[in-house]
Amino acid sequence: MSRYYTLIAALPDLPALTARQELPLSRIALDKRLTLLSEEDREQLDRVESLYHPPLTRVDNQPDQQRVLDWQRQLKEIKSPALRQLVEQRLEWQTLLAALRSRDQSGSQPEHFYGSGRWTGFIRRHWQEPLFGLDATLPFLGELAKLHKKGASGDLEAALNTYLWKELLFVERSFHFTLETLVCYVLRFGLAEKHLQSNGEEALAAFHRMTEQLLASPTLSQPLDLAFEEALR
Amino acid sequence: MDNLILALGWAGLYGPMALGAIGSMIGCSLAGQAAAGALLETETGHGRYIGISAMPSSQSIYGIVVMFALNRELTLANAPGLGAIGLLCGLALMFSAIYQGRSCASAINVSKIRPEIFGMSLAPAAIVEGFAVFAFIFALVISADLPV
Repeated sequence: MSRYYTLIAALPDLPALTARQELPLSRIALDKRLTLLSEEDREQLDRVESLYHPPLTRVDNQPDQQRVLDWQRQLKEIKSPALRQLVEQRLEWQTLLAALRSRDQSGSQPEHFYGSGRWTGFIRRHWQEPLFGLDATLPFLGELAKLHKKGASGDLEAALNTYLWKELLFVERSFHFTLETLVCYVLRFGLAEKHLQSNGEEALAAFHRMTEQLLASPTLSQPLDLAFEEALR
Repeated sequence: MDNLILALGWAGLYGPMALGAIGSMIGCSLAGQAAAGALLETETGHGRYIGISAMPSSQSIYGIVVMFALNRELTLANAPGLGAIGLLCGLALMFSAIYQGRSCASAINVSKIRPEIFGMSLAPAAIVEGFAVFAFIFALVISADLPV
């Protein structure tokens, strides 16, 4: 098992998701540090990340059944049991939210519903129950269902992200400088990135702060001052 | 058979030094790697990170002292005792150095995030050091009863 003492100690702390104003390092800087990973571990990280945070830019026209089969195939390729479990849980939540949304569409039938994880069969069997009969097993689903009913998609995503953040932090702290620690950090970074992008005002404020910092930096202002001085001579 | 017993005595004589040094190498390397990473992320307090990463080197010093305390003319009468005390003390020093290195790496990682808990974060490493001191002191005490 590879241990990444230097790499993990070189990563800045990610404060709580809700307290976030800006990211402590850019994705480019993070990727530069991740070059310290072995090729095999980098491949594992990419696989986990693509399942946990599917790229928004990718247009996916796959039918649900095909997509679920693809997820299952990729899950088998994840070597760490802890990471596999994290991704499975993430996909299960995605399945549950998809079931809530799918049920609201008129004419949707449970037998046409496909999803990943333990609850798919349960969802089909208890399609008409408000929380698919999972009230006692997954109390957090009740909170998400309430937000879904109100149509508060942003709050729903924020609540789910906060829940996932806590889960990731728990797993991250259970390992000692291993790939699991690092992957959980990168996944939390992804959640923070999404949270920041979802808040327009915060994103604008971060942009202003960044431009002010850049304009105040001597590397940029000194050559400009010199250029003005030369022009005035 | 006599030669084997004498070889065991020699192993016990040099064991605390060699095993302690192996432990210190690994421990300092683990803590040093974490310190190197923390240097990249912090603006100040670099000296203390390097200082912590050298903590597991004390086990080598204990090993040297135990080696000198055990050093005597090897005979068939004292070789088994020297072997037992030296090798067991060496193993204790080696494992304590490795695990102290891991504790130091964690201390560096958390004190980088919150510098005010620097002292408290070193407590686990200090406790591990305490066990190394037990192994060291009692090796000296018990070696006094070995035939010269």
